[in-house]
Amino acid sequence: MTAPASAAELLLLPGNWNFDYTYFAGETASRFFAELRDSQRILGRRCPQCERLVVPARSYCDACYVVMGDWEPVGTAGTIEAFTIVTAAFPGLPEPPLVIAFVTLDGADSALLNFVEGVDLSDEDAAGSYLFEHDRVRVVFSKQREGRITDFHFESIPG
Amino acid sequence: MSGEPIGIMGVGQTPYRRSNPELSAGELVKIAVDQALADAGVGMDAIGAVFGGVAPDALAGIKDIDRMSISVPGRPYLRFNTGGATGASVVAAALAWIGAGRADTVLAVALERMGQASTAQAVFNTIFDPIYEKDFVLTTITMAALRASMLVKRHGFTGQHWAGIASRNFTNAVDNPLVIGARARTPEQVLASPMLAWPIRRYEACPTTEGACALVISRAGAIPRSHPTSWIHGMGGSSDTYSMGERMNRLEGTLIEMVPLRRAAELAYRQAGISDPGREVQVFEIQAPFSIIEAMAYPALGLCEVAQSRPFVDRVLAGETGIEFNPSGGAQAANPVSATALIRIAEAAQQVRGRAGPHQRDGVRRAIATGQGGATQFSTVCVLGGDRP
Repeated sequence: MTAPASAAELLLLPGNWNFDYTYFAGETASRFFAELRDSQRILGRRCPQCERLVVPARSYCDACYVVMGDWEPVGTAGTIEAFTIVTAAFPGLPEPPLVIAFVTLDGADSALLNFVEGVDLSDEDAAGSYLFEHDRVRVVFSKQREGRITDFHFESIPG
Repeated sequence: MSGEPIGIMGVGQTPYRRSNPELSAGELVKIAVDQALADAGVGMDAIGAVFGGVAPDALAGIKDIDRMSISVPGRPYLRFNTGGATGASVVAAALAWIGAGRADTVLAVALERMGQASTAQAVFNTIFDPIYEKDFVLTTITMAALRASMLVKRHGFTGQHWAGIASRNFTNAVDNPLVIGARARTPEQVLASPMLAWPIRRYEACPTTEGACALVISRAGAIPRSHPTSWIHGMGGSSDTYSMGERMNRLEGTLIEMVPLRRAAELAYRQAGISDPGREVQVFEIQAPFSIIEAMAYPALGLCEVAQSRPFVDRVLAGETGIEFNPSGGAQAANPVSATALIRIAEAAQQVRGRAGPHQRDGVRRAIATGQGGATQFSTVCVLGGDRP
């Protein structure tokens, strides 16, 4: 190689990736979303081998590698397993501050992810402590539902 | 390890910096490969196969960037992607290839070109499930922060713990000439950095880093007796469920128990004959792009019981373990995502060869390198030793 070009001579070529996709959810997830949209119910499917009720519903248990069995509804309240308060903005992602959490709904054996609302986010450390002490949330369904995971969110249960 | 021993006979690394606009992807790789071949004392004609690693192509914005930069004409070529564990998966494949008698000497190469991306976190959002999860701001930062809140609740970790680990890694990196722009940071400076996703702050996270790493790996019969070699004493790898929510309520361990890392460690320790890693291994290069990941890794690597996670971190920070963690600065100081697990192996290999440079530690007979990828879905543990097995 010859001596490095000066910074001014280096070619910097603009580029972007901007493709459209259609994601195929499959039959099990489609039914999960239809129930969410039409009946405001959250359903899981139980693994016949490990007997876990997996929510959101999956067609097969990947740990046991067997087809899931029965559909069962779970409660619309649950317990936070993990959360974070998103405080920094990143291009192309929703505006902070936001709380996201994995919540195990009552009766379920796995957790699902969604936004948590109803938490004062003016002081993030205080909000974090609050969420440790108040780890119960309820599901709030949107009035306009499209059959998407965003048809509901969690709301912190005070007290 | 059974069968003919296999060793790392050559190591090549580029400097690690945010971007390299003066180098094409192939030029970046060639720096590492030429160095590894020279270190091994062999030419490209000795290379029987090439194993390449690139994690998400979208970080570089060039699909299958390895085709233009890593593959070598005339040799079998395989490419791997296990996220941050990619570089270690490349080594695992190279060992299997040699062990099967398909080549005497191979190249293991990994490249990260993420400096070309305008935003890494939006790219990382695309690795998550678009049906159930992607809408909720999942990125590598939030996936770590979700675990951090579990660790705080379960074990009582505080910001001081994360900051202490981060401070040690950044400070170690100052002695590593390959980490360009390395700056020592005190725990106070880490705690004063902006919050990204509570409880994780900017300096508890890795920076955007480009770079390439290459290893020349051979069967013992192809390595001259006098050649400084880092021998593979053990290599384990395991995988976990993709869905993080399904890893919460399990007997074998939740999201924060790093079940695949524990399994990988058990495999590697069995091969290496290690029963007490804290006493038998002098250096750990842990692939932890966030300090909280390093705290989770200690019990999974058998260095303490899960219930003793916080007291063990206290001992680590007080320098009471007698173990050297991340002499290179680790993934926290420089984390070229696709290459980072290969760099951990390279650094561990250099430590046992006595060739690590300014950050060489004394008396290193055994070193361990871990790999961690795909939201802790993939884990690897590689045990390297100076003694031929």
